Amino acid sequence: MKLQGALAIWRRDMLVLRRSVLSEMVAVVAYPLTIYLAFGIGMKSYIGLVEGVPYSLFIAPGLITMTAVNAAYSESVWSLWFHRRVQFTIESYRVTPVSVSEIVVAKIFSGFTHGLVKALTVALVIFAITPFRFAPEHLLGYLAFLIPGSAFFSCAGVICGTIMDKPETIGKVEAVFIMPLIFMSGLFFPLSSYPEKVIPWIRALPTTALFEGARQALVKGSFSAMFVLQIAGMALITFVAAVWIFRLKMSD
Amino acid sequence: MTAAILTNNLTKQYGTLTALGNLDLQVRQGSIFGLLGPNGAGKTTLIRILTTLMRQSSGEAFIEGNDTRSRGRDIRCLIGVVPQENSLDRYLTARENLELHARLHKMDAARYRQRIDELMELMGLAGRQHDFPDTFSGGMQRRLVVARALVHQPRVLFLDEPTTGLDPQSRRSVWEYIRSIAGSMTIFLTTHYLEEAELLCDRIAIMDHGRLIAQGTTQELKARLSGDTLYEIEFDGETERYAALLKNMACIRSITVKGAVVNVGLEHWECLSEVVSALNGAPVRRISLRERTLEEVFISLTGAGVRQ
Ligand SMILES: Nc1ncnc2c1ncn2[C@@H]1O[C@H](COP(=O)(O)OP(=O)(O)O)[C@@H](O)[C@H]1O
Ligand SMILES: [Mg+2]
Repeated sequence: MKLQGALAIWRRDMLVLRRSVLSEMVAVVAYPLTIYLAFGIGMKSYIGLVEGVPYSLFIAPGLITMTAVNAAYSESVWSLWFHRRVQFTIESYRVTPVSVSEIVVAKIFSGFTHGLVKALTVALVIFAITPFRFAPEHLLGYLAFLIPGSAFFSCAGVICGTIMDKPETIGKVEAVFIMPLIFMSGLFFPLSSYPEKVIPWIRALPTTALFEGARQALVKGSFSAMFVLQIAGMALITFVAAVWIFRLKMSD
Repeated sequence: MTAAILTNNLTKQYGTLTALGNLDLQVRQGSIFGLLGPNGAGKTTLIRILTTLMRQSSGEAFIEGNDTRSRGRDIRCLIGVVPQENSLDRYLTARENLELHARLHKMDAARYRQRIDELMELMGLAGRQHDFPDTFSGGMQRRLVVARALVHQPRVLFLDEPTTGLDPQSRRSVWEYIRSIAGSMTIFLTTHYLEEAELLCDRIAIMDHGRLIAQGTTQELKARLSGDTLYEIEFDGETERYAALLKNMACIRSITVKGAVVNVGLEHWECLSEVVSALNGAPVRRISLRERTLEEVFISLTGAGVRQ
């Protein structure tokens, strides 16, 4: 597959992101920062240490990860829906020599880039207001989670944006699946808080591998190859599914 | 010479609805071909198949000899498309819209810059090229979509209802631009405005309910209607009396009275002298030949007016 066409579409998305970067970033930082200030600082003295670290440090990686996956998912799902149903731009791409696969790959990469860029912004802000510093190898280990995690959520967004025609459905899916998936997988509390019987189920969630693994990599420097493989595997599966579903949708 | 567009028995079903039924069409290279039909006739469906956005249920279609089912990419290199709904990107400026399109056609920057300059000038948009399209009037947006479809110099241009929803002035300006780009390129346009088809097209096909019901030049289509010739006679009083007199004449096939004007359909034009002698001494103000309009052709073929 030639990627020249995909590159052109991705560059278009990046141009649009660049244009609104300031307002986008303010909006993106506001939410995790509010949570961070309310929980990490406001409740710090009530909570004390969690898994041996201050609570504000405990939730920091999760907030960054949450920003990445939320941004990747939202960008992909809304962009797909908007370009397909509102602007009909996907159709304008489809009457040029670019292939349908190139279009969907471009959209997946755009969502992925949004996730990474926004997570990086939130990370910089959190690092700026806290005294915590991380070793470079911990940061690299953390990236090994953030990259497939963003890819996974971007692909999931593309799938949802391809099959859902109504904006209200998209909003519902976000509320019923995406947010619970993120909050249940150890963003605010350690998995050990769950009742014994529930833990295996929680561990099976793809988001647990992502949030747990990412935190351990960043805070403790313990790198779980198993978790990385799990999340990378999920990303690969959803990538193939996203391309396939999009092609199917475009051929009917 | 291969036809620019050729279809054989082209059929498209949506479930049980036959949107296109056994359509046979041939469009000569370099011509402007108009597909005329009311809403729901199947025009957009046909364009979507020809531009490879959709697959036919059966039959075949070729663009410059390329099969739509197997040579989609080759076809998409050859065609420019102006869809029924403007598909402009409102987050890109007018110029950026065209640049993205050029990149999707793998044109290099040196070539597309110059081409876009020319097109912006041609379409009267040069002064607004750095503005966003949602600040444009309907007519300007339409012209921008046309410009976008022309960036890569297509050999066949499809226009799906290029002027629907525009005010008369913008419509006229879009027509002018379309005429100015006609030449070596084949243009295939759909419309439900008879005037538009008549004004722009070399050949016209009329379709309804997914079927072609007539094809030819405007003149041919009009001629097909009339074995009889229509005349308009305007009286200065006593209209009823003379209308009754005309009604009894053998060579008059049809007659309608509207105020002081009587429309008569003659068996053939030679009857005219008979009519004139019959009206000897009558207060006739005017006798004129009435041209058939395409609308009348349309009504006689489909049994109804154009559904808007
Ligand atoms: N995606 C679709 N699914 C089902 N029916 C459709 C679809 N698109 C068009 N139709 C139907 O097919 C017929 C032809 O539609 P269309 O090609 O849009 O006509 P036109 O462009 O001449 O107005 C109409 O009856 C329309 O309702
Ligand atoms: Mg239509």
